[in-house]
Amino acid sequence: MKIIALVRGTVRELASKATLYVLAGISTLILVVAAFAVGATSSSDGMTITLFGNPISPPVPPDVVSELAGKLEAGFAGGLFLGVVVFGVFGTAGVIPDVLEKGTVDIYLSKPIARWQLLAGKYLGSVAVIFVNIAYFIAGLWLVVGLKAGVWNMHFLLAAFLMTYVFACLFAVVAFLGVLSRNMAIAIIGGILYLVVIAGPLEGRQTGLYLISGNGIYRTILDGLYYLLPQVPAMESGAMRIVGGEGTSFVPYLQSFLSAGALLCGAAWILSRRDF
Amino acid sequence: MFAIESDALSKTYTNGIINPRRVTALTDFSLQVETGQIFSLLGPNGAGKTTFIKMLLSLASPTSGSATVLGCRLPDVSVRAKVGYLPENHRYPGYLTGEQVIRYFGELGGVPAKTLAHRIGPLLDLVGMAQWRGMKVKRYSKGMLQRLGLAQALVNDPEILFLDEPTDGVDPVGRKEIREILKDLKRRGKTIFLNSHLLSEVELVSDRVAVLDKGRLLKVGTVEELTTTGSAYEIGVAGAVPPAVFEEARAFVLGLSQSGDHLRAECRTTTELNRVIDLLRKNGVELTSVTRQRSTLEESFISLISREARP
Repeated sequence: MKIIALVRGTVRELASKATLYVLAGISTLILVVAAFAVGATSSSDGMTITLFGNPISPPVPPDVVSELAGKLEAGFAGGLFLGVVVFGVFGTAGVIPDVLEKGTVDIYLSKPIARWQLLAGKYLGSVAVIFVNIAYFIAGLWLVVGLKAGVWNMHFLLAAFLMTYVFACLFAVVAFLGVLSRNMAIAIIGGILYLVVIAGPLEGRQTGLYLISGNGIYRTILDGLYYLLPQVPAMESGAMRIVGGEGTSFVPYLQSFLSAGALLCGAAWILSRRDF
Repeated sequence: MFAIESDALSKTYTNGIINPRRVTALTDFSLQVETGQIFSLLGPNGAGKTTFIKMLLSLASPTSGSATVLGCRLPDVSVRAKVGYLPENHRYPGYLTGEQVIRYFGELGGVPAKTLAHRIGPLLDLVGMAQWRGMKVKRYSKGMLQRLGLAQALVNDPEILFLDEPTDGVDPVGRKEIREILKDLKRRGKTIFLNSHLLSEVELVSDRVAVLDKGRLLKVGTVEELTTTGSAYEIGVAGAVPPAVFEEARAFVLGLSQSGDHLRAECRTTTELNRVIDLLRKNGVELTSVTRQRSTLEESFISLISREARP
């Protein structure tokens, strides 16, 4: 009950910030552009999907159109994935450091709520807000492609959940840094740096970081970090495959779930030992 | 049962990781606060007053010692359902209205929604904020925030109220209103624990007062006990005291002086005081009053602190 109140409070807090309205505005703009850009023409040779009036392929039978539309949507999802996640981090990174500020945390913790509940409420509230933003965009795009091209790719709707899931895993890193530093800038920069400087290179370590040294210990450390931390790029490419109607491994999702859980438990432990 | 009881509570903060610096905020602090009292903790900045409250609310953990609140040994999350807290320099979500703040923190305090619906209006009335209930908190003045903070602290109908500088930024009329609220809460059996720098106010509402300096308890007692200077008495007289009588009386006591229609006698015992009175009456001096001389709480406080500061 108290966690629900905290989630509601966090949603209200984020709803008062401009960043998420900017994200919603960008999503709306893209949807409007897509509504004008995406189209379909049919002829005796088959159907063609068009972008800004230009066919993206020669006329093909309707079942192939469906496959093409899936690929188009997967491309959209992949292209926007990083932007949505980064914007999400910008919009929500302050939630945890803000509540831990002197004068605010005192009021929260004078109520009969455990510290882990405070963290959980703020975390879930942030994820919920990002889910609404992502769902709005994905559902909108799904409707645009469906209405304009007549293709109703149910896999694409899964992208809303997958993108939120990836954001939730990354936000565990941001939340951990937020509890540790109590500083919004460190939480944002740490989250983005994790995504760009750590998660990306670790994903491609076999063709990149491995080349720096052939030392076995070095490579074991890299592998260890890869499996200990949320695998954001692997989940992103997996999401694109799912949207495109292909199969993918769920190992990165499961492993990232465990990593995010461990980070949140670590954050709760740090919070439980802190004096305010 | 005491509402609050601490036993040799100590707190040392460690600042820094590479070159840690230890700061002792509280040392062997033992205190009992009876249920239904207004108890005030006085001390200069950095004396450890806020640290004590924070440990009672489990916002900070003690380095050693123990404490109970309403009989529950700390730390105990559940006891906080019966506690209200107005911290110093509090910050409420600026995007919420006053009413929303009370509702939000009421929900977090475990107050059922139906109860909240009936409680919020009267609470805002009580603290004089009803007309600004719909205004965003970010537009509130300091005084309005204090009033809202008091309502927030009362939203769960607490058995104990911890108030850290509750009248900070409040105008004199508002301060009087807050004092009346505190007195009313006391009449309803609530225990109030007050941290304040405004000694004149503490004097007006407190049943008991403790003075704290550099983390140590210097003195605890009623306001009267703390403000009574001990051996000085003021004797009201009608008319002048004959010089010979004055000189004879002076021989009985440690010191005697006259200022207008008052004599100030410093006596070792009440027998000495009575000998002076007898002498004055025997010589036809009419007495109008005899009172034990008291200092203000502020004078007593400064005297205690400066005595402690002396090497």
